[in-house]
Amino acid sequence: MPNNLPEIIEQVKLSLGAFVPEISLSALFLLVITLDMVLNEKRVVIPMVSLVGFVITGFFTWQQLDMPNQEYFLRMHVVDPFAVFFKFLFLGAGALAVLITMDSEELGEKNVANIGEYYAVLIAMVLGMFLMASASDMLMMFLALELVSISSYILTGYLKHQIKSSEASLKYIIYGAVSSGLMVYGMSLIYGLTGQTNIYEIAKFISANEVDEVTLTLAALLVMGGFGYKIGAVPFHFWSPDVYEGAPTPVTAFLSVGSKAAGFAMLIRFFKVAIPAEPTGELAFDWVNFFALIALVSMLLGNFAAIWQSNVKRMLAYSSIAHAGYLLLGVLVADDLGTQAVMFYLAAYTVMTVGAFYVVILIANKIGSDDVNDYRGLGKRMPLTAAALTVFLVSLTGLPPTVGFIGKYMIFTALLGKGTVFLTLAIIGVLTSAVSLYYYFKIPLNMYLRESEDGAETPMESSAFANALAAFLMILTIGFGLFFTPLANFAKNSVIMLVMN
Amino acid sequence: METVSFILFSFLGALVMVGSIGTVWSRNPVTSALFLVLNFFALGGIYLLLEAQFIAVVQVIVYAGAIMVLFLFTIMLLNLDDEQALKEKFDLQKGFGILLGGVLLVEVLYILGLKINLPQKSTTLTPVEIGEAKNIGRELITNFLFPFEIVSILLLLAVVGAIVLAKKNFSPNT
Repeated sequence: MPNNLPEIIEQVKLSLGAFVPEISLSALFLLVITLDMVLNEKRVVIPMVSLVGFVITGFFTWQQLDMPNQEYFLRMHVVDPFAVFFKFLFLGAGALAVLITMDSEELGEKNVANIGEYYAVLIAMVLGMFLMASASDMLMMFLALELVSISSYILTGYLKHQIKSSEASLKYIIYGAVSSGLMVYGMSLIYGLTGQTNIYEIAKFISANEVDEVTLTLAALLVMGGFGYKIGAVPFHFWSPDVYEGAPTPVTAFLSVGSKAAGFAMLIRFFKVAIPAEPTGELAFDWVNFFALIALVSMLLGNFAAIWQSNVKRMLAYSSIAHAGYLLLGVLVADDLGTQAVMFYLAAYTVMTVGAFYVVILIANKIGSDDVNDYRGLGKRMPLTAAALTVFLVSLTGLPPTVGFIGKYMIFTALLGKGTVFLTLAIIGVLTSAVSLYYYFKIPLNMYLRESEDGAETPMESSAFANALAAFLMILTIGFGLFFTPLANFAKNSVIMLVMN
Repeated sequence: METVSFILFSFLGALVMVGSIGTVWSRNPVTSALFLVLNFFALGGIYLLLEAQFIAVVQVIVYAGAIMVLFLFTIMLLNLDDEQALKEKFDLQKGFGILLGGVLLVEVLYILGLKINLPQKSTTLTPVEIGEAKNIGRELITNFLFPFEIVSILLLLAVVGAIVLAKKNFSPNT
């Protein structure tokens, strides 16, 4: 770190140029708060302003594609293709979250008097995710994670008059505080071992000096506690079923895609950079086996526990735990192929999960329930919506011709040819996917093959806008399944991460 | 000098331990909170021994002052005097807690036994000068400018969130 003032000022000035997307998001955050105070009619204007803001931020992010891979702000913030890919993902997820919120009765005029702050907090959450993807210093990692966490708590508890929502928020806060505490403790141990907070300096120190392996392992395990909580992997998953069920559904959708992707971005950067493989091929801390264990348990527990759920949101929560397991498989390969597969899968997961939750919102708007047994006979009453949900579930299972299939295929192929352990994991992954078929298809089964109890057959289609959005997501799910090359290439080109200089 | 600081450290360390054990042990929430205040004050003293005046002062003002007042206020507001109401019944939970605490204790003991040779940071300041508010402030707006600015957004978000969650008449129906 430079010590003289002019040099620092020069560096900060230079760094501001690499921080335009985040500045734009911060400005949007403040703008929305201000608009919320001055406007009378907010239900249309504020979401529109947010969407325009996301598009503008997207433009600035796009400009970052050509920027040199470099650390900024006195080695706190990184801009590289890896971060830019995730920024696009967060913006897409954020924009989808805004769109699906507009249609939700749960957050509609009848239930929530003031929606302005909701969008402000959502924007702050996207900003936190941007910082998570770019953080190259443990201090920034912690702050970015807290920014995302605190926004999640607020959004989860937004339906204050519903006990479930408040309960979910409280549980989320308690679990979140414990995992952040564990993570900071782990980080303090790493700082104690190496005397560095910058992940590149930590890597340099670890490869040049003898560090105590037991302490490093414990520290890394504790840090993993914080990351594991964000990605919702076993054994840090306890919050997710309750939070997914209690939170307003648009928030659940955004948490399950955005938060998870941000957690993975930070996890991959931290473990690939700070604790890299040594020249001898040995890891300073053998996180590969550790991740293999977490992935295995997540896949098994997530898929098997989901079988017994009758609430669709809860079922999707367990399924998201299982998906965290699949994604970890791609991380633990620790090569570019695996990372590329994870990035592709996260993009695919965003489209299909937001789609599935959106349809759950549309159905709940009409029948006022998230229970799978109330979905009976919906195939006739809401034909397009039911068809869309079926497509998303097919994709979540990982069957062709959907994007979910390509994603799973990429992850499993990345595991092949690396040894028996990886092969076994891939086989277990395929088998648990087959298990997931069982519970996912309970939903189409109820919708198409069972009559509703009161025998109602009156059609209840949603608005044209809702149908268009559901159809758009459905087309994306199938379209990326058939023409996956552009997205796969984008992921491939974005694997480039700033490594030790 | 060595002996004086050793005696002071032993005394404060004992106070910290008495405070934390008392916090967990006492059945009455108010007593528990007061033990925590003792703990915070003693910890502030240890920071002073380590020549970190600024952190010591912040510790006393923020933790022993503001946060503890909030704690006591909440306890009295909720009228939690009834010790039975707070009694834990889950033995599994307790067992798990003891296990986790034991693991952390072993870990800390293990780490204390290590000899770590850290690279020396190049600085012209003495330890006493590093602990000064002026130097901490200078670090905050130079080397740590970026995290400092992010904290400002974090705090703004927390304020917005607190207002959102605490505001009345949130729902037109209720």
